Amino acid sequence: MTTGTSLANVDAEPAAGTGGQVLRVVVVNGSPNERSKTVGLADVVLDTLGRSLPIETSRIDVYRLGPGFTGAFQREDVTPEVEAALRLAENADLLISATPVFRGSYPGLFKHFFDLVDQYALANKPVLLAATGGTDRHALVLEHALRPLFAFFQALTVPVAFYANTGDFDGTTLLNPRVYGRIEMGLSDVIDLLKARATGTRAGAGGSTADGG
Amino acid sequence: MAFEVGIMTFVERTKDRTTGALPSPYERVRETIEQAQVADQVGLDVFGVGEHHRSDFVGSAPSILLAAAAEKTDNIHLTSSVTVLSSEDPVRVWEQFATIDVLSGGRAEIIAGRGSYTESFPLFGYDLQDYADLFREKLDLLLRIREQNPLTWQGRFRAPLAEADIAPRPHGGTLPVWVGVGGSPASAVATGRLGLPMALAQLLGPITYHQQTVELYRESAARAGHGPDTLPISINAHGYVGRTGQEARDLMYPYFAQGMAENNHQRGAGFPLSRLAFDAQSTPGSGLLVGSSQELIDKLLAYHDLYGVNRAIIQMGFGGMPQKDHLEAIERLGTEVAPVVRREVASREGRAA
Repeated sequence: MTTGTSLANVDAEPAAGTGGQVLRVVVVNGSPNERSKTVGLADVVLDTLGRSLPIETSRIDVYRLGPGFTGAFQREDVTPEVEAALRLAENADLLISATPVFRGSYPGLFKHFFDLVDQYALANKPVLLAATGGTDRHALVLEHALRPLFAFFQALTVPVAFYANTGDFDGTTLLNPRVYGRIEMGLSDVIDLLKARATGTRAGAGGSTADGG
Repeated sequence: MAFEVGIMTFVERTKDRTTGALPSPYERVRETIEQAQVADQVGLDVFGVGEHHRSDFVGSAPSILLAAAAEKTDNIHLTSSVTVLSSEDPVRVWEQFATIDVLSGGRAEIIAGRGSYTESFPLFGYDLQDYADLFREKLDLLLRIREQNPLTWQGRFRAPLAEADIAPRPHGGTLPVWVGVGGSPASAVATGRLGLPMALAQLLGPITYHQQTVELYRESAARAGHGPDTLPISINAHGYVGRTGQEARDLMYPYFAQGMAENNHQRGAGFPLSRLAFDAQSTPGSGLLVGSSQELIDKLLAYHDLYGVNRAIIQMGFGGMPQKDHLEAIERLGTEVAPVVRREVASREGRAA
């Protein structure tokens, strides 16, 4: 966790009917909080996704990347740990961009991470947008702030984006079934695409995977 | 389920609109007990006192005011509206309300809430970071105490209980525990899952404000296997019953607006409520319970039709309304509004059955 990259392998149920390729999912988390609703929302997305196809997940907490990240203005300035985190995001099969809303938009450090990402690394890469905010007044941050950012990268941004407000959570546990429903709907729109984009191998899905299907 | 009508107060202290003087805590508690007495005499079902920890409210210890009210009343149910359970010790809450129950011959109940004000957290040494965990754990303990005695229990926020003997047991064997919900979907889902009655707090806004809250509550209760139709729902809102609709609005507005500006704030900044905004809040499509007796009957029935509520608790007189005007409204509510609503709801439910 000190490097800011947590490799929490969610070993998917050996999903029926898939060709055995594993979708490598990377969450870029813009929340500074240890107990984070944004991570709570992203985890529901991962859990839902993991029911449909085998996934391997990692998370980059931009607020934990440290001075090697915050002090870097160019890609060449970053420390090797930060370089590894950037490459992790750049090489994902699916990127989940998950952030709280600060002052009407994503936090500066979240943007700073993407300022260091290679200009073409996300081109045609599936990107899923998720955000949390105090109230639903901020929900359009998905469409008015996050979507244009990934439009710059020419990313393949998934049509349905996910938003939850503070009242949808008990602590960091997402309770509102309407949000769960939206996540299922949004993922089912693109599930065939994501299956086709899976490039990970069972063996590469982390040491903790059991039988490899 | 019989429809219940009640009143509640926060025992707020608001400056006199003419003299600028603040009423003393003594004056306010005497008025509060008198309100409970009149509410009891006119046949209202519930009297509630809210919990706030600031000097512009006297009601920091609702259980004590309810105990005093118990001594002056005969039939009315006595409830906290709400008990800020997150910053309380559920053992102590139980002891106090079970005592009120014994004292009043079985008329006590608790509405447990998270509280819309946060002053009690630092006051009792709790961290707002634990907001959700505190409420969940303390509600769990309160319900366990209700279920069994002696009790063995362990949690994060207080010392464990080992075969703890918690007394007294309530007069009627059990204490009703409601959960106060302000409208966040997660609260509705959690309350439904526990199968507890839900008290909806509505400050301002359309009468349909809580439609999703109620849907989520019922869906969640059904998923958890609780008979959703037997779970009572209460609407708790501000209001006033006048001789005429116009009189009710004219009378309530200046005090309510002053209360909103002076008492309803967290960071020193009040909430300016223009007459135009207030009048919009008192139309048939809004949630505020202000009007003539007939208008109140219509709106309470509208609430019942919309949400299936079986109880309405109206906060009247907020913002320093003179006691005489307040008591007159309590009398109208008890004698002109409540009997009609109870009868009408009973006949509607009879027809539906």
